[in-house]
Amino acid sequence: MSTEVMIQAEGLTKEYGDYRALDDVSFEVNKGEVVGFLGPNGAGKSTTMRILTCYLAASRGTAKVAGIDVFDDPLEVRRKIGYLPQRAPLYQDMSVWEYLKFAADMRGLDEGTFKARMKKIVEICGLAQSLGKDIGTLSHGYRQRVGLGQALVHDPPILILDEPTSDLDPNEKAEVVKYIKQIGKDRTILLSTHNLGEVEQACARAIIVSKGRVVADGALDDIRAKSGGARYIVVIDEKSALSGKAPTEAEVEAALKTVPKVQSLRDVPTDDRAHAFELVGGREDDLRAELYKLCVEKGWIALELRREAKALEDVFRDLTRGDELVARGLSADDEDDEDDDEDDEESKD
Amino acid sequence: MPPTLTIAKRELGSYFNSPIAYVVICLTQLLLGVLFFFVRSFWQVDKASLAQLFELAPFGLCLLVIPVITMRLIAEEKSSGTLEMLITLPVKDWEVVLGKYLGALGLVGILLVSTFVYPIMMFVFPWKLGPIDFGPVWSGYLGLSLMSAAAVAVGLLVSAFTKSQVIAFFVTLVVNFFFVFMHWIGDHVAGPQLGLVLSYIGFQQHIANFARGLIDSRSVVYFVSITVVSLMVAFRALESRKWR
Repeated sequence: MSTEVMIQAEGLTKEYGDYRALDDVSFEVNKGEVVGFLGPNGAGKSTTMRILTCYLAASRGTAKVAGIDVFDDPLEVRRKIGYLPQRAPLYQDMSVWEYLKFAADMRGLDEGTFKARMKKIVEICGLAQSLGKDIGTLSHGYRQRVGLGQALVHDPPILILDEPTSDLDPNEKAEVVKYIKQIGKDRTILLSTHNLGEVEQACARAIIVSKGRVVADGALDDIRAKSGGARYIVVIDEKSALSGKAPTEAEVEAALKTVPKVQSLRDVPTDDRAHAFELVGGREDDLRAELYKLCVEKGWIALELRREAKALEDVFRDLTRGDELVARGLSADDEDDEDDDEDDEESKD
Repeated sequence: MPPTLTIAKRELGSYFNSPIAYVVICLTQLLLGVLFFFVRSFWQVDKASLAQLFELAPFGLCLLVIPVITMRLIAEEKSSGTLEMLITLPVKDWEVVLGKYLGALGLVGILLVSTFVYPIMMFVFPWKLGPIDFGPVWSGYLGLSLMSAAAVAVGLLVSAFTKSQVIAFFVTLVVNFFFVFMHWIGDHVAGPQLGLVLSYIGFQQHIANFARGLIDSRSVVYFVSITVVSLMVAFRALESRKWR
């Protein structure tokens, strides 16, 4: 993969009066990358994208798209990008064909080029049956497709997509993600979303923003690994054992606690007649061998033993926890108290 | 086609994609006909003239037609989010403002042209009610066009400051009300000195010159100045989104 930088943000800060929507945001997206731009609502994703597309100006910092400064030459930047704003706002009184023609005319495409591009867009976005329909009569899913179509009409090297799957049903979401993967094969894409499943499907790299700051930036595996320990699931048969009698839950729990480098342990619900526990160990360690040895020594039947990196969803929650607390008017201490209360309730039960 | 004209074409087309254009043109024709023939007793005037058309038209245009046409220009784009899509295309802010302005002015132009059916029918075919001097008719239409250009620019300016079409409509109506009734306020409320100034600020005195066949360069400059200043302020209002 080429390492040519196609999108570069350096110290981007955006202030609305006293409110700081972006705070020193810096990142780079290289040519050919599909990067997930993650964050909860109000984290600064859309503001960043609006600055990159020259809709807004940053209070401080610089941004370059395809090597062009967004402040110095906004028209050239806009020629290089295809942009789909949040919720794909389109002119509802126009037909799909009229709207895409309008976008093509605005970008100076001649009739021949437009028709050639339309063949490709219809194929990629699945618009063959909708070209003559008024946009106002289309479902959200089809409007998103039209929005994607206008972003692709001039065959841009860079795509900036702001929550392209919001308001879609699961089938439509899957379709849009499929399109993004398809069109991302030969383009640089910055994809904003708070749907982590989409990022895991479509992107190899993610940038996570929280409260206007970048809190993680890297390959998905790296983000998972850096943001917490590895998780182990151990399921022991409660009905029988290789030798002796079947273990009780307390015995299994006590034995698992003795395994070196276990950071935390909790039982997890299971449908099987088994004792299931989740353990967290250091991210550098692999406890599977120790856990297997323990089962053999005790004569327990291990129904399941697996190690998994922390899910992106967990990482996301950890990294953006502050946003939710602020939204609920709580501090970190308040939430700790809440957690303690919940634990107390559970122990009473 | 330059982006400005592409936007103007889309804007004009959107009026005809919705009932707005048809309703505005039909009702204006109907209302004008009623006012023209019944309310002001056109037939009792002893000369072939369209002076009364030019006297009445500013009220209908400024207080109803133009606020309805201009209220959606930028306010609707803001509220629906399409402004973001439009402005992130390779287009300059002033091209957006000018394109939208030309689109709205195009509809008002079509409306004005459609009213030309009155002098044609009355003085050319099928009725020939007397020899009409077409000089004041042309100059009267020029005056109405210049006034409409100014009033549309004012409406666009108001629309650039709000997301609400209702607010845009009423504020445009109120601003235009003052322009149209400024001479009356000058005559009846203010003193003689202030009255002269207010009459000059209002539309009616300038339109009256055009209706008499007098193309006064001061009146032309007056309407063009309002148009240019309003468009420039609208451009700044649109551009201000970047910094707020």
